[in-house]
Amino acid sequence: MITFALSKGRLATESAKLLARCGVDTAVLYEETRKLVLTSADGNFRFFLVKPSDVPVYVEAGVADLGVVGKDTLIEEDRDIYEMLDLKIGECSLCLAGYPERKDVLTSPALRVATKYVNTAKRLFSERGEDVEIIPLHGSIELAPVTDLSDVIFDVVQTGSTLKANGLVVLEEVFTGITARLVANKVSLKTKSAEILPLIAKVKEEVA
Amino acid sequence: MANCRLPAGVQDVLPRECALLTDLKLKLERKFSASGYLPVLPAGLEYYETLAGSENAVSEEHMFKMTDTDGKLLVLRPDTTLSIARIAATKLGLDRARLSYFADKFDLQSGGGLTSREIFQAGIECLGEEGTYSDAQCIAFAIECLKEAGLRDFIIDIGHVGYFKGLLEEIGLTAAEAEGVRTCINRKDTMNAERLLKKAGVTGDARNNILALPALFGGKEVFPAAEALTHNSCARKAVDDLKNIDRLLTEMGYEGYISYDLGMIKPLSYYSGILFSGLVKDLGAPVLSGGRYDNLADAFGKHMPAVGFAMGLKRILVALERQGALPEEKKPLVIVAEEGQEARAYREFIARTERGEKVRLSALTGKEGAKQEEDAGYEVLPVGGNT
Repeated sequence: MITFALSKGRLATESAKLLARCGVDTAVLYEETRKLVLTSADGNFRFFLVKPSDVPVYVEAGVADLGVVGKDTLIEEDRDIYEMLDLKIGECSLCLAGYPERKDVLTSPALRVATKYVNTAKRLFSERGEDVEIIPLHGSIELAPVTDLSDVIFDVVQTGSTLKANGLVVLEEVFTGITARLVANKVSLKTKSAEILPLIAKVKEEVA
Repeated sequence: MANCRLPAGVQDVLPRECALLTDLKLKLERKFSASGYLPVLPAGLEYYETLAGSENAVSEEHMFKMTDTDGKLLVLRPDTTLSIARIAATKLGLDRARLSYFADKFDLQSGGGLTSREIFQAGIECLGEEGTYSDAQCIAFAIECLKEAGLRDFIIDIGHVGYFKGLLEEIGLTAAEAEGVRTCINRKDTMNAERLLKKAGVTGDARNNILALPALFGGKEVFPAAEALTHNSCARKAVDDLKNIDRLLTEMGYEGYISYDLGMIKPLSYYSGILFSGLVKDLGAPVLSGGRYDNLADAFGKHMPAVGFAMGLKRILVALERQGALPEEKKPLVIVAEEGQEARAYREFIARTERGEKVRLSALTGKEGAKQEEDAGYEVLPVGGNT
């Protein structure tokens, strides 16, 4: 049996469709249920639907053998797992965004950056030798510059429509080509290779 | 109750687990000793300089540091192999030494889950030995140790840094670029490896060969695939080494226990040859990790090529529990003295311990004492005038 940790939200539908095309029985993912662990009818697959940032945690611990998660989360979480394939779905960029002109605020000389990618933002600005104040948020990041909680945001941008509707623009595309990735537990790949490798090969063909 | 909390990433080991840990340690101690390994117990504190001087084997964000009375920087032992190499090179006066240890190592960074900041390890190091016969012996012994621990369904996954180093020789990256590529390859992250290689201006076959590394894992079929990729002498020698090791391990009867991964390139910079990990189906992280480090002792003034491995005893216990292989708890028989018969009960207790029975002498006495022990779930042996 192969256990999957799948990201809820943005990537859920597309990743389920992709797996179905690769012969994974995903019917159970569409059932109305409050169950947390879903097992396919043929008993070959088990799924957990979890918050994207939790996918690498489940996979690193080996509770899940495989996972589907955005590259943004992988950069942020920096877990000890194998990144097997680019699934080429859910493409977006990790961007710095804000008002086109920065207002100088005398009392907070350091750039205030609101983000849910705290580790990535810290690394980015420390590499650039820039002092910034990171403001950790969990959602609706665009609200921060609008309410003057922050000067800029560091977040994923897919279509940019939320930015536009609030008068914000992309200031810099920091990481482009952020897509969903198939990740694997380092032990499972070796100890369950007979089950996992053929599936990975199929997914690879499907996304090629 | 703030005064009874523990810092993050460390744990007390309670009696039931501690008994299992002690049993496991005893088994391995007997195994080490019977196989000719001499025990050492390295010091828990080292000078920061000692560790920083040896090819920066452990990166500093992983070290617990404190200041000595003379202002020198001390670290809590972050890696036992380093300490063993230091001991062998500076204190034993031997050209060859096979050493074993049971020791804690400390890691300032804690990942939570299966990683901890205080890691109890058992390990062996074969110092002053070169060649694939020594490598194969070390891997074979790793398999024997995991068997001795009671694990089943495990494999030893073997790689070789020489192959990656050989491919790198062909493209001439800076140290920082090489480290970036290594990190990506070790994660099987070909996309970012590709991006880094492109940035470094590496193209063509050299690029494709590096990007092929993550897929070079499995059985011995990886050897011809690896040979087909490159003529670099360092890389070809690595494959020859692995082929020799494979032949030796197969002849020794360990064929079913081994797999290969040329894309496994661990972060510790002192590894110079083979690398290996012990993987158990029931646990998401390796239970054993080792490799060859031919130049580590050079920093301590003596050239002693060496190979060794360490096992995480806590992880082995977790894997054993998941495999349902932990023994049932055996409670001791409890001797309770009847009124006024304390000395007699004590003699009975001594006689039984000398016979090797598992027995405890209760501090309680009489019928009431016997009842309390029974209520606590123990089998009671009353000792007195009538018994």
